[in-house]
Amino acid sequence: MGTYILKRIMAIIPIFLLANLLTFGMIHLSPVDPAEAYLSAAHIQPTDEMLAQKRHEFGLDQPLHVQYVNSIIKICQFDFGISYVSNKPVWDEVTYRMPATIQLALGSIILAILVSVPLGFWAGIKKNSGIDHFSRLLSFFGASIPSFWLGYLLIFFFSVKLDLFPVEGIGTWQHLVLPSITLALPLIALYTRLLRASVLENLQEPYILFARTRGIHEKVIMGKHVLRIAISPMITGLGMNLGKLLTGTIIVEAVFSWPGFGRYFIEAIFNRDVPVIQCYVLLAAGLFIISNLIVDLIQMCIDPRISRKGGQRQ
Amino acid sequence: MSKRRNSKQVLFISTIVLILSTFLLGCTNESKENSTSNKDSKDMLTFAWPRDIGEMNPHVYNPSQLFAQSMIYEPLVSYQEGGELKPQLAESWEISKDGKEYTFNLRQDVKFSDGTSFNAENVKKNFDAILKNVDLHSWLGFIPKVDQTEVIDQNTFKLTLKEPYYPTIQELAVVRPVRFLGDAGFPKDGDTSKGVTKPVGTGPWVLEEYKADEYAIFKRNEDYWGELPKVKKIKIKIIPDAETRVLAFEKGDLDLIYGEGVISLDAFKQLETTGNYETSISEPVATRQLVMNTKKEQLSDLRVRQALQYGFNKKAMVDGVTSGLEEKADFILPTNFPYTSDLDIKPINYNVEKAKALLDEAGWKLPKGKNVREKDGKPLEIELMYDSAESIQKAMAETLQSEWAALGVKLNIVGVELTVQIQRFKANDFELNFFSNYGAPYDPHTFVNIVGSEGFGFSEAISSYPNRDKLLKQIADVPRTTDEKERQELYSTILESLQEQGAIAPISYIKKIAVYQKDVSNFTFPANRDEHPFTGISIE
Repeated sequence: MGTYILKRIMAIIPIFLLANLLTFGMIHLSPVDPAEAYLSAAHIQPTDEMLAQKRHEFGLDQPLHVQYVNSIIKICQFDFGISYVSNKPVWDEVTYRMPATIQLALGSIILAILVSVPLGFWAGIKKNSGIDHFSRLLSFFGASIPSFWLGYLLIFFFSVKLDLFPVEGIGTWQHLVLPSITLALPLIALYTRLLRASVLENLQEPYILFARTRGIHEKVIMGKHVLRIAISPMITGLGMNLGKLLTGTIIVEAVFSWPGFGRYFIEAIFNRDVPVIQCYVLLAAGLFIISNLIVDLIQMCIDPRISRKGGQRQ
Repeated sequence: MSKRRNSKQVLFISTIVLILSTFLLGCTNESKENSTSNKDSKDMLTFAWPRDIGEMNPHVYNPSQLFAQSMIYEPLVSYQEGGELKPQLAESWEISKDGKEYTFNLRQDVKFSDGTSFNAENVKKNFDAILKNVDLHSWLGFIPKVDQTEVIDQNTFKLTLKEPYYPTIQELAVVRPVRFLGDAGFPKDGDTSKGVTKPVGTGPWVLEEYKADEYAIFKRNEDYWGELPKVKKIKIKIIPDAETRVLAFEKGDLDLIYGEGVISLDAFKQLETTGNYETSISEPVATRQLVMNTKKEQLSDLRVRQALQYGFNKKAMVDGVTSGLEEKADFILPTNFPYTSDLDIKPINYNVEKAKALLDEAGWKLPKGKNVREKDGKPLEIELMYDSAESIQKAMAETLQSEWAALGVKLNIVGVELTVQIQRFKANDFELNFFSNYGAPYDPHTFVNIVGSEGFGFSEAISSYPNRDKLLKQIADVPRTTDEKERQELYSTILESLQEQGAIAPISYIKKIAVYQKDVSNFTFPANRDEHPFTGISIE
């Protein structure tokens, strides 16, 4: 198992390099010159000399391979460079905004679990009941409504009309409610359906019949056996969504004026703030890789069969 | 069994309802308390802005927000309605006959917010810090022309230029970089381009509290030399999304929404029609123009350029696209700017027949059975480039496409990113493009200068003007003129000629909007496009 984990960790390096190469390539293929974008964003009418000076300052006048190698060396030292716009170290800027994004992502993932686990489980064991229909409706709604629109709707009803929650900002738990719901709803839709399907599938398994014939109490069968096994695909889904969730906060952060790093990234795109864009893409790649790794490990603990399979693979 | 199940379901649902209602009730009470505290008192005006205010350094640009910089820092001269230049930190000034020496008599009762005095030494220190980075600031015409900065005495400062440059005084009114930082704000090496130690200014506001990306609170500078602001505090909430700004305003969390393009035109109209709020629209701050590249064959003929202008209903388009918030423009610069009101030009009005006749005359005939005009077998096809993120440009491009199709002109519209639009314009790689001038206090001299300078797109775009060389000479002469009358004549000739030759077509005058709660009064738009609007504002 130890070797397996080590192998998985080692696999992170080529993925990172590839992600970095892709961002690097995309930025350099774009028709927009970052130096010019920087000066235009500052409302400066750039002259050729100013552009040349800025390009030199940003290191854009060096050959491409030198720029690429330099960027790799710096990243290894956790140096993501200086933001073209704010002139401050990108890493400081990102870590300053990270806690807010993590708070929002955690809020919505907890909400998603709290709602989708009981709902999906219940809908599975009570197929075609009222609760099943309700879960289907909620999933349909959650999967199809665009986040920004849901955000506006929630603000309009719960903030403007009912005055229950603040429209925007951060600070109290009330501030967290609407953005968390907005971000959690698509996840609820997904997890509820996943869990329901998995529960239905497990109910058909022979071990259930066996357990019943052994006279084990229905509650124990459902709780200890069905739920435990059925939850496995949901955890996989959760892991795949963790990275997506952190990067998906962008729209929600903009709608609710949440001062996280998603918003910071949007501004960076508009300003062609290359170091910030690069840092963001690498972080996102890292989040995806690490969250998938964690999920795999959790899976191993929950379902010993996976761990055995893992063992065999070694 | 089923009875038991039902009763269990009822019990479960009632528990959920109970928990939810307790939760919601809790929220209601707390958020009610919150909202009353949010509303604060009459002493604080709450305002929303899309971006963080940035570093309060008077000598740097992005991401610092102009309006916030103008709250803390003041200029020597201020730009007022109609282009009038009024004393601010300089009580008066004299300009030498040769137009090279500017002597400023500084106001004596001015103190920085840390209690230190504003004086000529400080003015020189600021100018020298700016001049250390001439390249960074060279876009502002007078900066590269500065030869010398001198302290004559405690209250007199002299600026000497290498050559006469009349817009110097006007450019001293801009928000950055020529505003004054107190000595305590300078870093040890004096190079403010890398940062300031604290934001110390002479302006009516002092930054009290600031949380990046969240909010900034400015308090009134009680020792301000001029008229004290009526409200004690201004809270600026950073709300990046326009719709959220509108919702926050409707909830009463904001007292004021102000600016250019800060909310959608639909939202503005909707807020206006409720009758619950006050709304206001400014004087023109700039002109939306259509630039035609005369280097392109089909646009090199004056008759084609004129035909295109005759060929669309400008008023209907502007009213339709901007819901009447912008005004149809007859001149390439708004007439509330200096030197722009005295022009002898006949605006081009909608006249399809004349447009068709002009195209026929220019040799672009409509072959039978075809929709697009042709000349020597070549179709009359033109490309219009617009900023894809700007809904107004896009809608206008689409309108022009359908209007000109009726004339037999095929207009291809291409949406590009703003940075690409600027780049292509500067590289002269376009046929038709949208542009807008810089506004107060930069124009008309900055606009005219851009038209005359190579590498900005205009000078190349007007290359087939028969009077191009003469025009460029006049443009070069304008800033050097020391005679007011001569300057007015030059500007009139330049602007008339630019417009008559038809490569720059005025479309609409861009305006700022303001929406405020009924208890906000005395709101006025600043004459300087980049200044803050909080002077004189009060809450009843």
